[in-house]
Amino acid sequence: MSFDLLEHPADIGFRARGTTLEELFANSAHALVSIILDPFDIRPIQLISVPGTGADRESLLINWLNEVLYHVDGRRMALGTFNVVSVDETSVECVAGGEPRDRDRHPSRMGVKAVTYHQLKVARTADGWVAEVYLDI
Amino acid sequence: MAEIRLQQIDACRYRIPRDEAAGMRTDVVVYASAALIEQIRKDQSLVQAMNVATLPGIVGSSLAMPDIHQGYGFPIGGVAGIDIECGVVSPGGVGFDINCGVRLVRTTLTEADVRPRLKELIDQVFRDVPCGAGSEGRVRIKRGELDDVLLSGARWMVENGYGDLRDAELAEAGGALQGAQPSKVSDRAKERGLPQLGTLGSGNHFLEVQFVEEVHDDAAARAMGIYEGQVVVLIHSGSRGLGHQVCTDYVALMNQVMPRYKITLPDRQLACAPARSEEGQAYLGAMAAAANFAWANRQGIMHFLRGAFRRVFGESARLDVVYDVCHNIAKLESYQAGGRKREVLVHRKGATRAFPPGHREVPLAYRQIGQPVFIPGSMGTASWVLAGRQGAMNETFGSVCHGAGRLMSRTAVRRGKDVRQEQRKLEARGILVRSESRDGILEELPEAYKNVDEVIE
Repeated sequence: MSFDLLEHPADIGFRARGTTLEELFANSAHALVSIILDPFDIRPIQLISVPGTGADRESLLINWLNEVLYHVDGRRMALGTFNVVSVDETSVECVAGGEPRDRDRHPSRMGVKAVTYHQLKVARTADGWVAEVYLDI
Repeated sequence: MAEIRLQQIDACRYRIPRDEAAGMRTDVVVYASAALIEQIRKDQSLVQAMNVATLPGIVGSSLAMPDIHQGYGFPIGGVAGIDIECGVVSPGGVGFDINCGVRLVRTTLTEADVRPRLKELIDQVFRDVPCGAGSEGRVRIKRGELDDVLLSGARWMVENGYGDLRDAELAEAGGALQGAQPSKVSDRAKERGLPQLGTLGSGNHFLEVQFVEEVHDDAAARAMGIYEGQVVVLIHSGSRGLGHQVCTDYVALMNQVMPRYKITLPDRQLACAPARSEEGQAYLGAMAAAANFAWANRQGIMHFLRGAFRRVFGESARLDVVYDVCHNIAKLESYQAGGRKREVLVHRKGATRAFPPGHREVPLAYRQIGQPVFIPGSMGTASWVLAGRQGAMNETFGSVCHGAGRLMSRTAVRRGKDVRQEQRKLEARGILVRSESRDGILEELPEAYKNVDEVIE
């Protein structure tokens, strides 16, 4: 999992990398989950489909990460694996693995309200892809 | 980008002229002292205020309050009045926490009553008021009843045993915005919000037991039932996951439909649609529903707070609402602009409505003194209770700041600090802090914020 946290005057962001777009999306989801809760003891005992659509690559990433957020915050799932099957310009297919959130095994870190377009970056690099995403806390 | 050109208007106002960037339809006016403006320049907030100036239908200037800091789309502390007939509505101009707001509660206790039992009280409040990221509430509500909450806000809570009837009256819009359309709130938003009704949340949300240190205006204090030495409680929370999801849903929708309305903007987080369009109307209906959820939420928190006070101080400890204001909202209001009366959709993102004496939307109890306004400081400083004045109506669509304004990022303020040591430092000053999260305390330390006294002046 390749990501770093980024500073924002009021909130927080992350920079994720991937050799492929699929890996970039998976690492972005891992970054998001690790900001919300302690991810070190998540058992992938339930598999759920987490698809996404968007008008372009940027909105695809934001819409999909908001989908992940809905499962983690709204459906109270601790998601620990992201098998991103495919990503094209406008859609993503993913099967995520996890279990219902447990206060003791997945202590909460920050309440994330939403994934935003603020200073969003999705770009190719020499090694693959990089994304910078900011979250509203 | 080159340094932004700021023209000083007077000691407390600066202007960024509309020709500073392509697409600006109007000037930006920043309300700040010379000292504050230097802090404001350090983040992206002025660029964000310039981006707001590109919104179709903006009336007057894009306004920045003294506590302005970098947000998403709009700066936090940003105000924009937009003509309802020819302009847009922007969910990002309200924010993810729709009707995030502040309720001031007065008690019948004094500092002398509370100080000796402060630790006992704080621990009881911490047990009784659910808080922290993802905390679940104790309000007994079925999924089928949620639409009633979205329609009637705080009133649903008091009618269902979570408060006194008078609590709901002393809130902006009477604790329920008209025009709420629960059908425009997605099932996801309802699912996300339902278990969180009556919970404080995390981030900068708080409940603070305070005492009145100094009264500057006897008549206003008398009208609000406030006196020196009295213990009061400030509650800061919003619409929880329900409001967050409403904003997420509608930012996505607005981004989809903007090309159809031929709107282009410098920042997708400002995504908008004509206010009178189907999408604009749907958002306003959903936003009002989420705002009502927030008033119900603060009412639930107050109910559990009352229980905590009674458990410690007995049945004679009485808690009453002074007022409840929102600082993330879009409201349809009438203003004189360009020599005529216009219906303006005032977007307040981290800004508080401050209507003057005599305004019909100010409750009778405060009509002589103006609408109560609450400006919380940080954990280490005072908070201010103010009253609206006519000047704000003439200049800022009846709006003022909403807090001290953040100065340091969450990660920067945490760096190298030990939570126990910081708690001990605060305790030495008589300030007891409780939080579900260790990082939550560090991230909200006083040094993370501007000086609230400077912001107020």
